Amino acid sequence: MTKKKGKIDKTAMLFIGPAFILFTVFVVVPTISSFYYSLTSWDGVSPKVTFIGLANYKEIFTSARFGNALKNTFILTVFISIFENAFALGLALMVDHVRWGKNVFRSAFYIPVLISGIVSGFIWKIMYNYNFGTFNSLLQGAGLGEYKQDWLGNTALTLLMIGIVMVWKGAGYYMIIYLASLQSVSPELIEAAEIDGASAWQRFKSITIPLISGAFTINLTLSLIKGLKVFDEINVMTDGGPGFTSETLVYLLYKVGFNEGRQGFGTAVGVMLLFIIIILNAVQQKFLKSREVQM
Amino acid sequence: MERGKKKVKPKDIILFAVTVALAFLFIYPVFFALFSAFKSNGDILKAPAALPGSLYLQNFKDLFEQSDFLGAIRNSVILTVVSEILIIFIVPMAAYGIERRKGRMTSLIYTYFLAGMMIPFHLYMFPLFKEMKLFHLFGNMAGPIVIAVSGAVPFGCLLYCSFLKGIPLEIEEAAMIDGCTPFQTFWKVTFPLLGPCTGSMVILNGLSIWNDYLMPYLVLPSGKPKTITVEIASFVGQYTARWDIVFAGTVISIVPALVIFCAFQKYFVKGITAGAAKG
Repeated sequence: MTKKKGKIDKTAMLFIGPAFILFTVFVVVPTISSFYYSLTSWDGVSPKVTFIGLANYKEIFTSARFGNALKNTFILTVFISIFENAFALGLALMVDHVRWGKNVFRSAFYIPVLISGIVSGFIWKIMYNYNFGTFNSLLQGAGLGEYKQDWLGNTALTLLMIGIVMVWKGAGYYMIIYLASLQSVSPELIEAAEIDGASAWQRFKSITIPLISGAFTINLTLSLIKGLKVFDEINVMTDGGPGFTSETLVYLLYKVGFNEGRQGFGTAVGVMLLFIIIILNAVQQKFLKSREVQM
Repeated sequence: MERGKKKVKPKDIILFAVTVALAFLFIYPVFFALFSAFKSNGDILKAPAALPGSLYLQNFKDLFEQSDFLGAIRNSVILTVVSEILIIFIVPMAAYGIERRKGRMTSLIYTYFLAGMMIPFHLYMFPLFKEMKLFHLFGNMAGPIVIAVSGAVPFGCLLYCSFLKGIPLEIEEAAMIDGCTPFQTFWKVTFPLLGPCTGSMVILNGLSIWNDYLMPYLVLPSGKPKTITVEIASFVGQYTARWDIVFAGTVISIVPALVIFCAFQKYFVKGITAGAAKG
């Protein structure tokens, strides 16, 4: 762009303008107004919006349903983050070390990422089915018929079963990130350590882990935030049930908003979700900074 | 590389076998869906793991006869393609404006866009729909397109800004001296150099728009076909006894994503790693 001052600003504005306007009107404005709606008893349909102060937030902190949803979200998110990262790192190490077909394996592990949440929820729902599902057929075939389960209906297992689908669907994505950072570790460094007599575990602990710690921080944050927002799979597989067993914050928000006509309360739940995400991000930023200093 | 000449050790074979087994486990559910789409309902229930005996296409016939799935496919394609075109027109320009005009104002705008990555769609969806009604964007295809494009701004800016840093200014300056306007310079000189980044953007955004459920479900008018994903979700509740039909639908949803992935693999990898490196 030219160097005359007035003209430059106008040009920059023309370039940034369309994105700025769209983003502001369709993301920022509704976000800001959601803070207002969270203070109302709006039902989502009627034009009448009644201001009720902090009543929704009071309900959030006292109602058992919110507590339950928060607990479910916490369990699911922690499960997803731990296992997604463990699998992703394991798969990345395997793909990095396997002798034949690296690219084929990388693609194979990535394929579940391509499938929509609705479709993967449906496929796994059928595999979990009591009478005709893959899991029970396998158990039956192996002579372990007594372990047959109503996988999604057993309230002790429901969240876990949803978590497994998420791990299956997400691990490939994080694997790509781990793989990229593993491949940035120079082979000379590892060879030098090998010559110096470091064992495989020592090499992994002292060379590989510190070098992939950046990828780890990013993946952990991404998977935590994604875990908080799981929706499609729950929608298809359990609809939040049985009872409230798999009702997470996002699902609670959706249900009170659309089925129970309480969008004001739903929006307040959404505001809580935003705060959780902001806190997670702040923690990540801090970790990332201190890591960078180390390296 | 020396590696290729090394002798095959038992360790290599074990690792290979384990990797094959795990890869099979990861792909099995996808194959299960693909096979089931070509089996009758009775066969799915009797022998879920068996391969289809013949090319059985009745499920697809039923799917198109019993629902307006063609309409859903059309909507999915329109939503994905039009949103992509708009994203590729709007987002790189914004990133260029930010990156090439470094200043307090533009870096503020950059932070403003990036902060948007934290906002969950579920938070602002209720007020957004009220707003869409106000703009007459509720209940037609324009609504989901506008929402998809707006939602793509934060990640897109991040990706394009980080790519733009690697593009030398000299080429642009030469174009300016030759009399190009900033607009021409961008589209004729800089944009073609951003090819790999655009590839990643198109692919990652395309996948998430194609697979999106909640937004098109809520914004498109009821009583008419919505998108492939939304139709599949409604089948799951509607045809509880006809898995064959639902599987036929899932294949139509999966296959385009698979084909694009196979054709443009490197863009997936580049997009994910570039996004992670900066995110």
